[in-house]
Amino acid sequence: MSLFEKFSGLAEARAGLGEAGVAPVATPIEDIISATEGVIGGRRVILAGTNNYMGLTREPEIVEAAQEALAHYGTGTTGSRMANGSYHMHQALERDFAEAFGWPSAMVFSTGYQANLGTLSALAGADDFLLLDGDSHASIYDGARMSAGQTVVFRHNDPDNLDRRLARLGSNAERALIVVEGLYSMLGDQPPLAEFVEVKRRHNAWLLVDEAHSFGVFGERGLGLAEQTGVLDDVDFVVGTFSKSLGAIGGFCVSRHRELELLRLASRPYIFTASPSPAVIASTRAALRRIVDGADLRRSLWRNIDSLYAALNRYGYKLGSGDPGPVAAIILPDRASALAHWQGLLDAGVYANLMIPPATPKGLNLLRISLSAAHTPEQVDRIIAAFGEIRKAA
Amino acid sequence: MTDQSARVRHAIREALEASLPELGQVDFDATLTSDVGLDSVQIMDLVMEIEDRLDVSISVEALAEIKTLNELADRLASRVGEENT
Repeated sequence: MSLFEKFSGLAEARAGLGEAGVAPVATPIEDIISATEGVIGGRRVILAGTNNYMGLTREPEIVEAAQEALAHYGTGTTGSRMANGSYHMHQALERDFAEAFGWPSAMVFSTGYQANLGTLSALAGADDFLLLDGDSHASIYDGARMSAGQTVVFRHNDPDNLDRRLARLGSNAERALIVVEGLYSMLGDQPPLAEFVEVKRRHNAWLLVDEAHSFGVFGERGLGLAEQTGVLDDVDFVVGTFSKSLGAIGGFCVSRHRELELLRLASRPYIFTASPSPAVIASTRAALRRIVDGADLRRSLWRNIDSLYAALNRYGYKLGSGDPGPVAAIILPDRASALAHWQGLLDAGVYANLMIPPATPKGLNLLRISLSAAHTPEQVDRIIAAFGEIRKAA
Repeated sequence: MTDQSARVRHAIREALEASLPELGQVDFDATLTSDVGLDSVQIMDLVMEIEDRLDVSISVEALAEIKTLNELADRLASRVGEENT
C-alpha cells in the first residue's frame, strides 16, 4: 500500500488534460515582459489571467522601493514577528492599513492564505460560531477548520438563508462571525453586502469581509466592496492579500476593534512563521499609497471591464456574474470545450486561466479572464478578437 | 422508527431527489463518498437542502464525522429533538 495511492484520482484527472503542448494548469511562464505581457510556449502573449488588477508589479516607484529595501535590509528577516522579524517597516505598513480604513488596528501576515487562517482560527473559540458563505475560498474553510468554533455554511450570496441560520442560534448569534468575500474569484460575482449587513445588525452578529479580489478595484479609495457599498461602519474586520492589486505576496487584517492586537499573542499562523521580507513590505507600502490615490487606475480598469463584458455578452457567452467586474468567468458546458477555449486563446496569443472541478463551485468548467488597469484598449481588443476567432471556428 | 426519525429520513429522500436526481434510489447504509460517489461540495449542497427542510443546522465539524445517510439521519434526528425540547 503506497502513501501516494490516495492521489490516483488526481493523477487521472491530470492525465485527462493531455500532455502535449503547454500545460493548461500550473502553466509555465517563461518570461515576464510587462504587467500585461509574458512569454509562454516560446511566444509573446497577453497575460489575462494574473489577478494583477491594478497592474502595479512593474510601476517604477514601487520597484525602486523594493530595490532600496532589498539593498538596505537584505533578502529576508529570518524570523517571526514574535522573535527577530518585527522591523519598524512592518509596523509602519500596519499603521498605513489602519489609517487607510480609519480604524485602530491592523496586522500583516506572510501570505493572504495565512491572513484568513490566522484571523479565523484565533477569533473563533470553543463557544463561538463561524457562518461561512458556501462558495468561500479554501483559506476561509481551512481557517474555520483550524479554529475551535462551530462552522455553519449558508447558501452562496443568500442573506435570507444566513438569516435563518442565525435565527436558529438564538442568543448565540451574538457570538457568530459572518464571513463573506467582496468578490468571488471563480465566478467573479459580488455579494449583496448591504443585505448581509442588515442581517448582521438584526442578530447583533459580527462581520468579516475578505476583500482579496476586491481591494483596489472597488471604492473611491480602493478599499474594497464594503467602501463602495457604504457599509464600512458595519464591518468588524477586513481581510485582504498583497498578491493581487498590491502586486506582492502577503496578507492583512484590519479591524475597528483595537483588541485585534491580542491576536498577535494567539494566532498560530501569525506567530509560527517568518515575517514578510523587507522588499515585500517596502513595495506594498508604495503600492498601497498608489491604490488609495489611484482613481486613474480604477478608471482604466473599469474601461477595460466594460469593453470585455459587453463583447462577451454580445458573443452570447454564459458568464459567472451578471455584474461586470475584474474577473470574467465564461461557463462552458464541459471540460473538453473549456480546454479547447483555453488552447484557442493561447494560440491567438492570450493567456487566461482554465478552471475545472474540484477547484470550481458547482462542478463548473470555466475559462477565467482577469483584467488589469495596465491592459491597453488595444490589448483588450485583441482579447476580444481572440474570442471572436474561437466563435467563428466553432 | 420514531416519528422524528421517519420525518428526517423523508426529508433526506426529498432533498436527494431535489439536489441530486441522477442518483435515484440510495441505500442509507452506503458511504456518501466512496459508495455514492459524492464530493465534498455535493455533500454540502445536500446537507444545506436538508437543513432548510428540517429547519436545523448541522456544523461542518459534525458533518466531517458522518459517513453514511443513516449516520446523517441519526445526527439530524437528535438535532431536531434538541430544537423541540
